[in-house]
Amino acid sequence: MNAGHEVALLHNYLLVGGLLFAIGLVGFLVRRNLIVLFLCAEMMLQGISVSLVAWARYVDDWGGQILVLFIIVVAACEAAIAMTLILALARRSNKLDMLAWQDLREANVAAYVDREVPEERAPSATWPTLPPAGVQPPVDEQAQLYRNHV
Amino acid sequence: MNGASGWLCAVLLLGMVALCLLLPATTRRRRWAGALLGLLSLLLMLVEVLLPLVSWTAQAVFWVLAAVTIGAAVAAISMTKPVYTAVWFGLSLLGTASLLLFDGAQFLSIATVAVYAGAILVTFLFVIMLAQPEGRAVYDRITWRWYSKAAAALVAAILMGILTLALDRFARTEVPWAPALEQLDVLHPAHMARFGGELFSKHLLSIEVAGALLLVALVGAISIMIQSGRSPGAPPERMEP
Amino acid sequence: MDEILNILMILVPALPLAAAVLVAALGPRMLRARSHWPVVAALIGSCLASLVLLWHVWRQPSGYERVATYWTWALVPDAYAGESGTQSVDSRIDVPPGTATPADSARLAGSSPRARDFAVDITLRLDALTGIMLAMVTFVSLLVAIYSIGYMHGDRGYWRFFTYIALFVFSMTMLVSVSNFVLLFVFWEAVGVCSYLLIGFWYEKPAAAAAGMKAFLVNRVGDFGFMLGVFLIWTTYGTLNYHDTPAPVRDTVAASAAPVGGGEAAEIVPGVLGSQRIATGAYVGGGTGLAICLLLLLGACGKSAQFPLHVWLPDAMEGPTPVSALIHAATMVTAGVYMVARCTPLFTASPDGQLVVAAIGTFTALLAALIALTQFDLKRVLAYSTISQLGYMFLGLGTGTLAGISAGMFHLVTHAFFKALLFLGAGSVMHAMGNVIDMRQFGGLRRVMPRTFWTFLIGCLALSGIAPLSGFWSKDAILASVHARVEVLEHELVRRQGAAEPDADPAHGSAGAVELSADQLGRGAWAYRLMYITALITAFLTSVYTFRMLYLTFFGAQRIPAEAGGRAHESPGLMVWPLLILAGCAAVAGMVLDQSYWNGTHPFAALLAGTPSLTGAVASTEALGAFHIDIAAVSLLVAVAGVACASWLYLGDRRTVHRLRAVMDLEGWAPAGGRANLLRLAQRPGVRGWNQWMERMRLGWLMHLLVELVLLLALILSVPLLLCRFMSPYRLSYGKFFLDELYWGLVVQPLRGIAWLCSVLDDFFVDGIVNALGRLPAHLGTILRSTQTGLVQFYALAMILGGLMLLVLVDQQLVSRVGAWLAAIMAGCGAW
Repeated sequence: MNAGHEVALLHNYLLVGGLLFAIGLVGFLVRRNLIVLFLCAEMMLQGISVSLVAWARYVDDWGGQILVLFIIVVAACEAAIAMTLILALARRSNKLDMLAWQDLREANVAAYVDREVPEERAPSATWPTLPPAGVQPPVDEQAQLYRNHV
Repeated sequence: MNGASGWLCAVLLLGMVALCLLLPATTRRRRWAGALLGLLSLLLMLVEVLLPLVSWTAQAVFWVLAAVTIGAAVAAISMTKPVYTAVWFGLSLLGTASLLLFDGAQFLSIATVAVYAGAILVTFLFVIMLAQPEGRAVYDRITWRWYSKAAAALVAAILMGILTLALDRFARTEVPWAPALEQLDVLHPAHMARFGGELFSKHLLSIEVAGALLLVALVGAISIMIQSGRSPGAPPERMEP
Repeated sequence: MDEILNILMILVPALPLAAAVLVAALGPRMLRARSHWPVVAALIGSCLASLVLLWHVWRQPSGYERVATYWTWALVPDAYAGESGTQSVDSRIDVPPGTATPADSARLAGSSPRARDFAVDITLRLDALTGIMLAMVTFVSLLVAIYSIGYMHGDRGYWRFFTYIALFVFSMTMLVSVSNFVLLFVFWEAVGVCSYLLIGFWYEKPAAAAAGMKAFLVNRVGDFGFMLGVFLIWTTYGTLNYHDTPAPVRDTVAASAAPVGGGEAAEIVPGVLGSQRIATGAYVGGGTGLAICLLLLLGACGKSAQFPLHVWLPDAMEGPTPVSALIHAATMVTAGVYMVARCTPLFTASPDGQLVVAAIGTFTALLAALIALTQFDLKRVLAYSTISQLGYMFLGLGTGTLAGISAGMFHLVTHAFFKALLFLGAGSVMHAMGNVIDMRQFGGLRRVMPRTFWTFLIGCLALSGIAPLSGFWSKDAILASVHARVEVLEHELVRRQGAAEPDADPAHGSAGAVELSADQLGRGAWAYRLMYITALITAFLTSVYTFRMLYLTFFGAQRIPAEAGGRAHESPGLMVWPLLILAGCAAVAGMVLDQSYWNGTHPFAALLAGTPSLTGAVASTEALGAFHIDIAAVSLLVAVAGVACASWLYLGDRRTVHRLRAVMDLEGWAPAGGRANLLRLAQRPGVRGWNQWMERMRLGWLMHLLVELVLLLALILSVPLLLCRFMSPYRLSYGKFFLDELYWGLVVQPLRGIAWLCSVLDDFFVDGIVNALGRLPAHLGTILRSTQTGLVQFYALAMILGGLMLLVLVDQQLVSRVGAWLAAIMAGCGAW
């Protein structure tokens, strides 16, 4: 009974960890914002951590958990350096787009350009307008307090 | 045997399609369809692919935690605004920390929350604020062309397929292991003491190196920042949307 | 004594070889203008050695041959497997000569039933034929080398010339000294190479380079036939040596059982021209014999410039004149004659082959004489004269009697003297005229160069066959032998028809070594008679063109061309002395070598008859010795008539010559049938009167019709006349019977077309494939380069895919499971 439980636990945790890793991988390959890219990289590391801890429990070795600790340490360092680099890049190209940095391509390969861009939803807020006779316009508190976008 | 080929195929396929539909550059209708499909595939996975645990409660808890983690992760990668991504990621981190706690790694779950959600995530949010104050841009709304998404989803599906198949074999052939829970060292009540003892006895050198690494990272980050600040590039007048 | 002889035999070719190597090594830098010393010294040594060897052979009895083996070059054991290996061991098989079949040849091939080895030894031989040839070759070479010192003086390639000359003398002496067909072929080719090198000596001149190529290629055609002949000899006779060689004893059982059937004959491999085979007459006749003869004849035609392979010799005159004198008059072109004489037993076994030899010789003689009549290039006239005289030699060899063969060889020796003399004289003229050789541009040189003139005159007299110079004796010998052959054949024919009549005239000797059939006899009789008459006509033509050449050059108004630069003078002593020596030989050699006019002996023929090849069945035929006054008178008359004709035409004001040329060129024949001429005819009084009478009788229309008919006839006739005008006798002769153009159209152009096709295929297909293979990596690279998009996430995707692939490949069971999966999916799709 216990054995089945341990095996099942390991099996499940490994799957979840793998799934986290896979999702993080997809995000890393697909998204174009540099920040989101690194967030997905951190997600991959999370998946690894889950798998390591599962193994540590199964084989009864502290090493897995200690490795996860060091992963956390390294992730922190990596995040620090990555942020400074991203800021430097953003300063040069005025945006956080991965597309801006494709100059390492070969000479006979054309640059990637975006073809269709889905239009942005028009902001639903209407700006206040002054009535003609100096009357104070009605104020929508909810609208002023709770904007629907950041 | 829960990793049966048919179910696995179905789950993977559904998941792939769901991911493709969920990722940015789609219309709203498609994203709802993707969300539904994704939920369906998640459900299928939980029920058919995962192995049953020892008791229903344990199983239920695990399912909830897994669903939260995976759902939050999928949501994180399919948001168009980076701040939302960060927030969903934070939720995913909480889910991960809970999973770690459920598995008996108490220190690590707290450390995850403290370091990841507390420090790294906040740093990310600061950078978003500095570099992208308007909160959303063109390149957040779209990604590469359709084949990139399909390729990435396919790769993820293949990876999961391999993992599942390997785990099937493992689950079938592995000799059942039957010590009592109390005998597991990692589940010892004095978890922190044991963890610390192990860490500072067998991995002392690694600790020192990790400390040095942190210092180096700190110094490096500062120096890069200073140097890039002094670069002769003209300061931008306006950030592009 | 033996040792000395061996040393002398190897010294004769080795000295020129050493000189060639020495001059090649040291000539360019050290010797330079002194390059002639090693060569002349070597040639003096060779000449003396060959004279000693000749004197030694002279003292030996008939049938003397001495074979010295120096080294084994190749040895392939058991290369020849005879057909019937278990037949009799006795080699003295009683096979009637000339009727042996190929099945017999297997038995004839060897005395022992074991298979034959293929062995090629460097073996030199010494017999009468070799001795004569060696002496002649080295003597003439020495004189030409001395002459060249003066002629080639100041030339940039002085050392190269002497290297080639020495190399040539080495090759030629080896050619006549070896005792093996393979080595004969090797040195056959070697003299061809030397000839090519020397013809193209001034390689910067395109005409000389082309002439060298032409000589080599035409020779190659002949050599192909020669090679096939050698192959056939190997398969027929099982050995390629001339001499008998002892067979190697291999198994001890046979050794202990030997000797079987008689003495030393049990373990000897009879050579193709060895004494054993000649004694027994074991030669294959019929088809195989004829094939061997014709193939060997093809080789001889190539080397000795007979029809149809004679086209290279006139072009070879582009080389320096000493080269023409040495190679293309005296030595190389005689290699073919030597070879046919050496292989006399093979030819005796096939009378049809001998007939072909004689026919080709006669035809070539006539053809060349006709061409030489109209040439203006002095050296070309001499070249065609050489071809013609070589034809005479082949005619002599083709009679098949000892007299004929001796006469051919006699003519070879005397021809070497006077033709070399004539060529050297021409060189002297060229030297004085600033390398102008066109006879139309100089004339009347006999007061400018008296010594050249007198020696040239002696040469011309010898060539024409005027008694008592040497040419007369040798040409008369050939004509006499042909005539004798005709008489013998007719006599035999009559005897057979008369049946069982005893042989009335014992002096004629036997009809031949081989029993001839009736139609062979009849054919031979009229063929040889025709050849005799043709030879007489050719003798007349020879005198005509020879003295034409003499008169055009040395008589008439004195004209010096501009290239001479006003310095026309007699040649220096180094060039004149060889002329004088050769003139002396040309004058006297005939009378010395042929003494049949006063004591009935023929020392040359007697010496030559001692050659082993000529001691076989052919020895029973007529021999030289008796002096036939009637034949001599006829030939002398013909020669003098030719001289008289040439004198009449070319001495004096030469108007007759021009008129003769106009007649022979059919000038005025074509316009003669023209309309204008006929209308002019109509204006003559008699015709006009007749016309007017016809008009009055109202039959004018009849006259008009007649005139139109006559005009039509003239038109029809004018077409062949036009053709004739184009191919008039004069033009045919001047254009060398257009054989060069024929070869150009039939052989050269198709080959060039094939070569063009091959080059196109090469450029298009082979180069195309190679270039495509070369461009393939470039294209592949371009395709692969398109993966470098510069997008980091694309690279990441590639890395992940690679990692996955590794993962999959490492896990075997996974692979098989995935494979089963895919198969199930496919089956499902297929079922659906």
